[in-house]
Amino acid sequence: MIDVRALVLAYPSQSALDAIGFAQRASEQVSITVLTTRGGEKYSYRGVEKVIVANVEDPTPDQLAGLLEKTFSSYDIVVAPSSKDSTDALARLSALKNLPMFTEVNHLEPSGDGLVVTRPVIAGRAYVTYSTRVPAAFTVAKKAFPPQSADHEPDVEEIEAPPASMVRVGVEEKKFSGVNIEDAEVVIGVGRGFRKKEDIAMAEELARLLNGAVGCSRPITADLGWLPEDAWIGISGKRIRPKLYMPIGISGAPQHMSAAIDSKLIIAVNKDKSAPVFQYSDYGFVIDLYKLLPALIEKLKQRKRT
Amino acid sequence: MNIGVLAKASIDPNMVRADSEGNILLESMPLALSEYDKNALEEALRIKQEKGGKVIVLSALTWGPTSKRLREAEQVMREALAMGADEAHLIVDEALIPGNPLTTSLALKALVEKIGGIDLILTGEGSMDTVSYQVASRMAALLGYPVATFARRLELLDGRVRVTRDLETRLETVELPLPAVISVTGEINKPRLPTLLQIRRAMSKPLNKYTLADLGATVEQAHVEVKEMKLLRVARKQVLIEESDPEKAADKLIEILENEGILK
Repeated sequence: MIDVRALVLAYPSQSALDAIGFAQRASEQVSITVLTTRGGEKYSYRGVEKVIVANVEDPTPDQLAGLLEKTFSSYDIVVAPSSKDSTDALARLSALKNLPMFTEVNHLEPSGDGLVVTRPVIAGRAYVTYSTRVPAAFTVAKKAFPPQSADHEPDVEEIEAPPASMVRVGVEEKKFSGVNIEDAEVVIGVGRGFRKKEDIAMAEELARLLNGAVGCSRPITADLGWLPEDAWIGISGKRIRPKLYMPIGISGAPQHMSAAIDSKLIIAVNKDKSAPVFQYSDYGFVIDLYKLLPALIEKLKQRKRT
Repeated sequence: MNIGVLAKASIDPNMVRADSEGNILLESMPLALSEYDKNALEEALRIKQEKGGKVIVLSALTWGPTSKRLREAEQVMREALAMGADEAHLIVDEALIPGNPLTTSLALKALVEKIGGIDLILTGEGSMDTVSYQVASRMAALLGYPVATFARRLELLDGRVRVTRDLETRLETVELPLPAVISVTGEINKPRLPTLLQIRRAMSKPLNKYTLADLGATVEQAHVEVKEMKLLRVARKQVLIEESDPEKAADKLIEILENEGILK
């Protein structure tokens, strides 16, 4: 396919580079326009033709959708990071313009007069490859399309944002641990097998002894709030790729295990022999974590001392 | 107050089947009521208890072959009725198979208009098979309704709905006028399990089936073709260690960590 005109929704602005990387790969000849919001222009969008800055700081998804609608006319593809608000905005645009849309795309190849894209399905346990015509819309998986560097400086244009129709009545910022489980070499996973919040100290101590970080399954953060959300391993949370992943007291739902599939080694601890987690593991210890962890921690400490 | 719940008969991700080359054997994987759609239904039932009205299940069959899948989809509708929904409406049409969010949303929009009188539409944040996160937003855009995605709290006010959206970095509470479309997360509630009596009663509740022609709708070809669907496979050793003595189990684990080069 030649001459692809791509519109990239840069929201949140700091995650737009993957979307630009996607657009760069859509064709040999691609011209990219970035649509961003106030403050977004400070990110360097080199190599793109044009940057359109909307005069709104903290847009609601309906404003983003309105901006897309206003801008989208002569583009072949619309691309955005796979954040919740940009997915919402892109889906609204896609409905109004009758576009097919693909979320969390992790592979792309131009093909004839269309594109071939791959994305995860069935709770991340499988992937599907589609061929699609253009125009079409895409959100891209994190880190899947590192942008190629270019030195072209874009033209900058301003645009009026439509008024927000969704009324915000309250905003509560989430607290994060700041621990980066995505880049950790060892990750200890905490699941519902831990009976109370205080017991997570055992997982933390084990992580310290193995120079690792603590992650968790969905209920530990989303239901119980025992750990901050940046510790959540799952297809809606973080994807990890450590040398060692140790799910402890985690049953092994596909949505969780798919996000750890790139781990080099998986050692599971669960007292239930029939827990699905063992199917995804290299080694599975069928034992109560409350029995194993104290013994393991003690032995690792001794080993460090000698 | 009538509430429509978009409920999908999804491929069950716990029942994955693939051939030796890793090709997904879709036809031998059963359909089940999508996980977060159960949360949407539970939320609708909770509102009904407070405000009265009807809970109406809306669905479109998106997996073929219809000859085999129709029965499974009907069972999924019966499950939703057993949980407490009042009636179910299912679109079965070859033009919607295999499904994609574009055609599914167009069909469901036509169904909502055909039934009429629906004040609030709820659905799960995404389906458990295709996980596209699109249908709520698409439906809202097609119907001209406001939408709030990823709701983990929902409160009905006078003619409005107040929703707390669970976003990446914050919880955001918003208000929308009705009618509106809301997608809910798995944390909003704990879906009830139907009793035996409810399961039996569900058999006599209305379950209506439609083709697109019945709805006066046509869907344009999406020009999307599935080239392949493959299992993500990583060979794991799957060694099970059933050592009940914690000291010995810990020694064994440390030995593995040493052999695998994690501990030096």
